[in-house]
Amino acid sequence: MTHFLVMISFAALVAVVFGIVGRDSGRERGLYGLKIFAEFVGIGLALAWLLYFLPR
Amino acid sequence: MTIKERGMDGAKPSEETPAVAWLIGVLAWAVPGAGHLWQGRWGRALLLGGAVWVMFIAGILLGGHLFSPGGQEEGTNALLRLPPMVANLGSGILYLYCWATETGFAEGAEQAARATFEYGNTFLLVAGLLNYLAMLDAFDIAAGRKS
Repeated sequence: MTHFLVMISFAALVAVVFGIVGRDSGRERGLYGLKIFAEFVGIGLALAWLLYFLPR
Repeated sequence: MTIKERGMDGAKPSEETPAVAWLIGVLAWAVPGAGHLWQGRWGRALLLGGAVWVMFIAGILLGGHLFSPGGQEEGTNALLRLPPMVANLGSGILYLYCWATETGFAEGAEQAARATFEYGNTFLLVAGLLNYLAMLDAFDIAAGRKS
């Protein structure tokens, strides 16, 4: 659970900065930030499951 | 006006960057969030600066490692320390404070064995890189290239 929280924190902090720097208007910033956040978390979970099935 | 003067796309040359923009750029690097704060962009300062500060402090608390030019490696191996050091250096005064107080630079096996060691490393590296982005944002606003 701690690992997941760290990943969520990382994604949220990066998404805030990318959202503000990457777009100009307030609404676009919010949507872009959410997209970045979802991508970080989604790809992170996908990779985690992929690695879970690989033998150690 | 020649193509060289107008630029390759034929656009008019941009206006000269004001000196204060460079100063704000340096300030934004040195103290995360200060570049926007100086320009009265409170919201941006809080969010951008806050993200960098939180990420850096979290990285230290997670047991991350900061890179410096000197280390145990010798010869060309020492060059491998430069890219992460440049990333760490992006945190400005946070990195300099840790360097002065020798916080986060330890290279013992005990620290590397911590479960959150790599998380901490990543947080510290990304904090510096994000501050570079914030610095460029503050510079662009000061130069009038961004609203």
